[in-house]
Amino acid sequence: MRPSWRRLTPSSAQLSITLARRQIATLRYARPDPPAWGLYLALDGAPSQIPGPGEYVLADFGDPIREPLFPSASDEEGFATVVAPGHPATRLLPGAKVDVLGPLGRGFRLAPAGHPLARLLLIAQVEALPLLAPLYEAAASVVLVVEATTRAQLPSPARFPPALELVHVTLDGSTGYLGPLVGAVEASTVAPAGLERVDTRLCELIAWAECVCVAHDPETYPALATIVKRVRLQPFPDFAQALVRVPMPCGVGACDVCRVATSHGEVRTCVDGPVLDLLDFLPL
Amino acid sequence: MGRFSTYWTFCPCESEPMIELAPRHKYGLAIPGPVMPAAGTFGYGDAYADWVDPSLLGAIVTNPVSMRPRRAAHGQRIAVRGDTLVVHTGWPNPGLRRLLREVRETWERLPVPVIVHLLAGSPAETAQAAALLSTVTGVGGIELGFMASVSRRQAVETVAAAATEGDLPVIAQIPFDRVDDLAPLLARQGADALTLTAPPRAVVPIAMGDSSTAEAWNLEAEGTTDEVGVARYLRGRLYGRALFPLLLNILSRWAQKLPVPVIACGGIASAEDAMACLTLGAAAVQIDALIWHEPSLINVVARGLEKPAQEEVR
Repeated sequence: MRPSWRRLTPSSAQLSITLARRQIATLRYARPDPPAWGLYLALDGAPSQIPGPGEYVLADFGDPIREPLFPSASDEEGFATVVAPGHPATRLLPGAKVDVLGPLGRGFRLAPAGHPLARLLLIAQVEALPLLAPLYEAAASVVLVVEATTRAQLPSPARFPPALELVHVTLDGSTGYLGPLVGAVEASTVAPAGLERVDTRLCELIAWAECVCVAHDPETYPALATIVKRVRLQPFPDFAQALVRVPMPCGVGACDVCRVATSHGEVRTCVDGPVLDLLDFLPL
Repeated sequence: MGRFSTYWTFCPCESEPMIELAPRHKYGLAIPGPVMPAAGTFGYGDAYADWVDPSLLGAIVTNPVSMRPRRAAHGQRIAVRGDTLVVHTGWPNPGLRRLLREVRETWERLPVPVIVHLLAGSPAETAQAAALLSTVTGVGGIELGFMASVSRRQAVETVAAAATEGDLPVIAQIPFDRVDDLAPLLARQGADALTLTAPPRAVVPIAMGDSSTAEAWNLEAEGTTDEVGVARYLRGRLYGRALFPLLLNILSRWAQKLPVPVIACGGIASAEDAMACLTLGAAAVQIDALIWHEPSLINVVARGLEKPAQEEVR
């Protein structure tokens, strides 16, 4: 039997639920931060409505679909983020209003309150560094492995907290370890003279860490998951977490555009992620 | 406003007027309002639970579902060009049986009927799905989605199979470029209502953006894209406000000629747009991918239509 489909007037409680996750952000600044642009958006919602590390908001910059913005830093008033040069937001003046939905998604899940994390390993492509920036001081000891094509792409060490240990990986070996980050063992076991491949160091760091957070090309996740599994044997859930960047037009799991395949079926990045357990990407 | 209230009726058990979407069907499909989401844009009923008040809607049309599970398309699935979107998801779904296990309770709780959008496979498969759905509380009707290349015979047989094997009203969603061909045929051959139309198919080049866009959207992946020289193309469903004039053109030619209610779908972006569709003879409207950008749009349109419709009926 069908229910009685009676038209109801929405109560004020229902309306407040509907509006609770829409916020009007005020642009405080948009300035070049080579090679990208940095923005700061002040939100009109409660502090709990500020996106945490790995969470996102969907911002309306006039395009047919909203754009996911991830925080690179946040405080009680709003959050900073990074966009590409030429992005519509770079043409806005301070004080401009931006309609945002969120925060949305599942962010990075570090140690529970009262159990501070001691050793955190961050792994990122240089382009994805801002996604992990909120975690630079999330543990007593943090190591950041950053991969770039060449030395010129790497940001200055002065831009990181002094306590952060940097491990550089370059594909051409111009500084730090010789890349790539994953697949090096399969590619060749012998590095050119004077260069050292990163795989041994990476395994040491994974063995050392209490938690691993990754923001890289999703195509590398199966190989990274395999390394984590090999080093840690039976890691606890969310020991290693990976942020997946794909278009997320709706942000609520309605459109199926953002589905990604994992070892236990497809998941919707926008609601089940965008931070997923790295071991979900283990090859079958 | 001549045809505006054609399908509004007073149900003896309801204090409010209802819209009868299936007047020829033995049970009918009375919905409390003319606004509903389009298939493929709203999930299976609970995705927008925090954003949309379902009691303002006429019905909820689900994402497409097939008897067998389907995986998502590989590679890039969305491209923006001007004010339009091209989307190709491959209609991923867990298969009808598993879906029903997951959403049955949600559908029972909804204050409006659920119209399940079935990917019309073979007539036999459609019949099986229709029979299964007839037993599910909360389901008020079936919307059949056809491939653009479906033959006239297969379309008729599929509608007949759904109508015969199940006892739910059958709405046929007509492919955009097959309206002249299929709409009158299916209206005569058993469809209780028609959705005009499914999103048109479109192709856009996708390798024109800068490198960061290319990287973020995984342009190198194979699957949904065709490579021609150095350019790649995404084929998929076209969404956007630009569709609205095309929809009005179709409605103006067909809505009043067809013997069954018509549901208008394509680029509707405001209560005024919806009103224009109803004025041209549509019984209801579906809001498509614009809801992704503005989740409150569907409620705004529903509220905007509420008052004029009530006054028209009374």
